[in-house]
Amino acid sequence: MSKVLLHAEKIDKNFGVTHAIDHVTLDFYEGEVHALIGENGSGKSTFTSCLTGIYHKDTGTFSLNGKEVNAKDQVDGNYQGVAIIVQEIGTLSGLTVAENIFLGKEDEFTSFKVKHTKSMNKKAQELLDAYGFSYIKATDLIDKYNFEDRKLIEIVKATHFKPQVLVVDETTTALGEKGRKELFKVMKQTKDDGRCVIFISHDLDEVLEQSDNISVLRDGVLIDTVKADNVNTDDLKKLMVGREMSNNYYRTDYDEKVSDEVVLKGEHLTVPGEIEDFDIELHKGEIIGIGGLSECGMHEVGKALFGASYDREGSVTLADGTKINDIKTAIDHSIAYASKDRDNESLVINDTIQDNICLPSLEDIKKNHILHAKDEKAFAEKYAKQMSTKMEGVHQFMSALSGGNKQKVVLARWIGKDSDIIILDSPTRGIDVKVKADIYQMMDSMRKRGKSIIMISEEISELLGMADRIIIMKDGRQNGEFKRSANLKDTDLIAKMV
Amino acid sequence: MENVEKPDVSFENELLIEKPEVKKNKVPLMDRPIVRNIMPFAGFLFIVILFAILTGGQLFTAGNLKLLLSQSYVLLIACVGVFMVMTMGGLDFSQGSMLGICSVVICFLSNYNIVLAIICGVITGGLIGLVNGFFNVKRKITSFIVTICNMYLLRGMVAYATTKSPVYGASNITTFNTMPFNLTFTIIIMVVAFAVFQYTGLGNRLKAIGAGETAARFAGVRVEKTKMLVYMSAGMITGLAAFINSIKVGSVTSTAGNQLETQIMIALVLGGMPVNGGAKVKFYNIILGALTYKILTAGLVMLGIEPKTQQLIMGIVFLIMVGVFADRETGMIVK
Amino acid sequence: MSKFQEFKQSHWYGLAMLAVLTFVFWAFFKMLAPQTFGDLGKLQTYLKTALYYAVGGCGLYFICVMGPFDMSVGANIVLSSVLAVNMSERFGYAGLLIAPMISGVLVGLLNGLVYIKLRISSLIVTAGLSLVYEALSIFATNGKEAILAPQYRAFGDYPGNLVLALAAFFLCGFILKYTKIGTYTYAIGSNEVVAKNMGVNVDKYKVVAFVLCGFFVGVEAILTISYGTSMTSASNLASMSRNFPPLMGTFFGLAFKKYGHPVIAIVVGEFIIQLLFQGFVALGAPTTVQNIVTGVVLLAIVTMTIKPVKAVVVK
Repeated sequence: MSKVLLHAEKIDKNFGVTHAIDHVTLDFYEGEVHALIGENGSGKSTFTSCLTGIYHKDTGTFSLNGKEVNAKDQVDGNYQGVAIIVQEIGTLSGLTVAENIFLGKEDEFTSFKVKHTKSMNKKAQELLDAYGFSYIKATDLIDKYNFEDRKLIEIVKATHFKPQVLVVDETTTALGEKGRKELFKVMKQTKDDGRCVIFISHDLDEVLEQSDNISVLRDGVLIDTVKADNVNTDDLKKLMVGREMSNNYYRTDYDEKVSDEVVLKGEHLTVPGEIEDFDIELHKGEIIGIGGLSECGMHEVGKALFGASYDREGSVTLADGTKINDIKTAIDHSIAYASKDRDNESLVINDTIQDNICLPSLEDIKKNHILHAKDEKAFAEKYAKQMSTKMEGVHQFMSALSGGNKQKVVLARWIGKDSDIIILDSPTRGIDVKVKADIYQMMDSMRKRGKSIIMISEEISELLGMADRIIIMKDGRQNGEFKRSANLKDTDLIAKMV
Repeated sequence: MENVEKPDVSFENELLIEKPEVKKNKVPLMDRPIVRNIMPFAGFLFIVILFAILTGGQLFTAGNLKLLLSQSYVLLIACVGVFMVMTMGGLDFSQGSMLGICSVVICFLSNYNIVLAIICGVITGGLIGLVNGFFNVKRKITSFIVTICNMYLLRGMVAYATTKSPVYGASNITTFNTMPFNLTFTIIIMVVAFAVFQYTGLGNRLKAIGAGETAARFAGVRVEKTKMLVYMSAGMITGLAAFINSIKVGSVTSTAGNQLETQIMIALVLGGMPVNGGAKVKFYNIILGALTYKILTAGLVMLGIEPKTQQLIMGIVFLIMVGVFADRETGMIVK
Repeated sequence: MSKFQEFKQSHWYGLAMLAVLTFVFWAFFKMLAPQTFGDLGKLQTYLKTALYYAVGGCGLYFICVMGPFDMSVGANIVLSSVLAVNMSERFGYAGLLIAPMISGVLVGLLNGLVYIKLRISSLIVTAGLSLVYEALSIFATNGKEAILAPQYRAFGDYPGNLVLALAAFFLCGFILKYTKIGTYTYAIGSNEVVAKNMGVNVDKYKVVAFVLCGFFVGVEAILTISYGTSMTSASNLASMSRNFPPLMGTFFGLAFKKYGHPVIAIVVGEFIIQLLFQGFVALGAPTTVQNIVTGVVLLAIVTMTIKPVKAVVVK
C-alpha cells in the first residue's frame, strides 16, 4: 500500500449536546479517492469541514505529510494544502469570475496595495481554458452564469493550486451529466498526481465507481473502512443504517387495525421546485411516516399540509370539508406542525418558554375576552411540566435550552392547543436518546387517544419503528408505500429512496 | 448556547450553528431580567434626583411641572404608535412629518367642524400608515427606508401646504387647550393602548413578530395583516397627537412636528426599549421614556447649559442606552 | 443567443440605459418649459450640484453594498464644512482641503468602530452619533454662520470643482476595481458568512468601508462649502436632510451594479435627479416640491430594484 498522505487522529467535535464526530481516526493515502458515506447527520460533512477550516474541531489533529493542518478558514486551509468544493453556495454573486477564483488570495496579485486586476483576469482565464471551460469569461460577473457553471468555476477555484487533499462534498447532486464528467476528470487527475480526494456522495453506485476506499460513518463514529472492489451497494447500505442498537424504545405492536375515517386529505399538492403532484390521506389514529433523502421534498410536504408553503397548488381538505390554505386556519382547525428548522420556524428563539407555549392558544387562555398574565403563566407551566421540560421557570428564554428541551416546548405548545392532527418534521433530530424515547412514547399515547400523526423523518429506523404506513419520496414525488410490518426491512425503504 | 442541529443538512444551517457558546452559569449582566427592568426606573429616578438637586428643586415647582406636562402630551401619544412598530422590529421615521400633515388637515377642517377635523386627521394618519405598511409588507422594503422616504414626501407636502402662510385653525380651537382636557385625552389614549397591548394578546403577537417573524408565522400569527394594522394604527394615533398639537398652537407652519421622530426614538430608548424590539419590550418604556426625555431636556435648559452641550450629552446618553438595552442575538448578522 | 440579448448582458447596455434615461428626462422638461429649462449653461449648473452629491454617493456606495447604512453623512458634511472654513483661515487651501478629509475619516472611523463594537443596527448608531457630530459643529462655529473667504473658492466652480470631483470618482473606481477592499466589499455584501469562511476579516472591512465613506463625504464637504460658500451648524438632527441627495446616487449605483460601472451610474444618477428637480422648478413648482420629488424618486428606485420574495423577513 502506498504512503499515508493525511492522517486524522481522534478528531472530535460537539454542537451543544450533539456529538457530531466522535474521536474519528482515519488515514488517507497518496493517489486514492477515498469516499465518506453515511446517513444524514452521520458527521461526514462536519469531518471535512473541520479539516478545511469551515468549522474548528474541538480536539484531535490532522497531519498532512507529517505536518499539522490547522485551518482558520478555507483560504488558510488552501495554503496548508487542503481544499473543499462545498455542497451549496461557494461562489459570491456581485464579484467577477476571476475575483471569485482568487478570493482571499488577492495578495498574490498585489504590489504596493494595488491589485493587478488585469494579470489576475489573465491568470484566471488561463486556468479556465486549461480546464476546458474557455466559454466562461474571467472578467464577467459571476451572476451571468447558471448554477452548474458556477459549480465548475468552483472546481477551478478549489483545485487550480493543486491541493494535496481535495474534498468533494456532495457536489455531484447539483451537477448535470457534463458537470459530473468534468468533476470526475479533475478527481482522476488529482489521484494520478499522487494526491488524494475525499469524496462525499449519497449516490452509492457513483461512490463504488469512483473511489478506491470507502469509510462509513454513523452518528459521528467511524464504523468501517472497506475497499470498493470488495463490496456492493447493499453492503454499504447495511453499514450505513445499522439499526440494531436502537430498537427498544419504539412501539411494539404490529397488527393493530387503523380506522377508515379520513381526517386529512391532500390532493395534487405541488410546490414549484419542491414537490410534484403529491397525494396523501391521513386516517384517525394513524401515524404516517414520510421518508426519503433530505432533498426529496418531504420536508415541504409538512409545510404544504399546514398551509405554510408559498405558491402551493392542489388542495388540503379536512373531514368536514374545510380547506386549509393558511396557517391560522390550520391551527384553528386543530392541526399542529413542528418544523425541522426548530430554531427558526418552530420556536421564537429569542422569546420566553411561556410566550412560545401560549402563542397559538392566546384566544383560548382568555377569560371573558381578557388575557391575564397569570393565566398565561399557569397555562405554560402546566404543559411545560406535563412534558417534563428542564427549565428554571417559564420565564426562561428559549435560547438557553438544549435541543431536546426545545423540542419539548414545541410539543407542549401543541398539546396545550389540543390539536388532533400533528405534523412532526424530524421530531428527534439532534435530540439525545432519553428525550427521543419520551417523544416516541408521547406519539404512541396520542395515537391511542385517536390523534393522527404525520412524521417526516430522515431516520429509517424511526420510520420502521413508529409508523403505521410509510411513504417514501424521491424527487418530489411518492416513490413507494409500505404498510407497517415486523418483516419490513431498512433496505426495502432505501431501495426506494436512492 | 446549545444548538443541536445535526450539521449535515444544508450549508447555511451548518454555518449558523457555529455560535459562540454562552457559559452556563454566567448570564451576562444585561440578560438578567431584573437588571433590564430596574435600569430604566433607576435612570429615571437618577435624573429626577440629579436635576432636583442641581436646580435646587426649581425644576419641580408646580408651575414648571405643569409646563413640563404640557410639553409632553404630543410626545407621549406619538410614542405609542412607534412603540408598537418598534416592538415588531421595525422603525418609523415618518411620524414627525405625519404629525405635520395631520395638523394641516385638522387645522384646515376645524374651520368647518371640529369633530370632522379630528376624524379626518385620524383617517389621514391611518392612510399614511397604510402606505408605509404596503411598501414594507407587500414590497418587502425595510421599514426604515420606507418611512424615511415618506418622511421626505410628507415634509414636502407640509411645506407646500404652508408655502404662502401657515394654515390657521378655527379661532376657537385653542380653547380646548386646557390642562384637564389634554391630560384626560392623553390618559385615555394611554389606558386604551395599554389595555389593547396587554389584555388582548396583541402585545404577545407583536413581541413574537419582533423576536422571530418566521416562527411567529408558524405559530399562527397573521404576520402581514398584523403589520399592516399596526402601521395603520400608528398613523391614526399620530392623528390624535396632531389634534393636541393643533389646539396647542392653533396653526401649522412648515416646521410642525420637525424632528419629532428622533425625539420619539430617543425617548423610547431612554425608557429601556430595545431598538430591535422583541420579547424584552415593556409598555412602561413609553411613559418612562417620554418623561425621562422631557425632564432631561428641561433640566439641561434650566441649568443654563448651552444647546450644543445639551445635544452632545443627549447623543452620548442615547448611544449608551442603545448599547445597554439592545437585544443582541448570538451569531446574528447586524446590518 | 441573439445579438440583442448579448447586448443586454454586456456593460454597454447599462451605459446606454443611463444615457437614454438622461435624454428622456431632459427632453421631457425641455418640451414643457423650453424657455426656462435645460440650455447648455443651465445644464452646467445642474451638473455642478450633481457632482458634489455624487462624491458623497461614491462614499455611501461602499457601505450600502455591504448592507449597513450611514445616517451621519449629513452631520459629517456640516462638521467637515465648518472645519474647512476654520482651517482655511489659518492654513489657506491646505486647510480647506486637508481638514475636511481628516475629519471625514475620523467620523467614519468612529462610526465603524462603534457599529462593530456595539453590534447594533448601523442606522441607529450613526443617527445617534449624528447628534454628537452636530454638537461638535456648533462648538466649532459657536453657532455663527461659517463663511468661506472669497479667495478660497476655487473648488466652487469650473474647473476646480470638476478636477476635484473627477479625482474622487477615479479614486472610488480604482478602489473598487484595483484593490482588495473593492473585492471584499462586494464579497461581504453578497454573503457575509461565506466571505468570512474565505478568510475575509469582515469586521475590519466594515470599518474600512465606513472610513472610506467618511473620506468621500469629507471631499463632498469641500465641494459643498466651496459652492455654497457658507454653512450653518445644525442641531436636533436637522442635518439628516443632507443624507438623501447622495443616497439617491448610491441607489442608482446599486441598481446598475450588475453592468459594472457603479461610479458612472452614481454620477449620471445624480444628474438625472437634478434634471428632475430643476425641471419641476422650471415648470413653476415651488422649491418645496424638491422634498416630495426626493421621497417619490427614492421610493420608486427602491421599489423597482427590490424584488419582493415572500418568505423573506423584512424589518
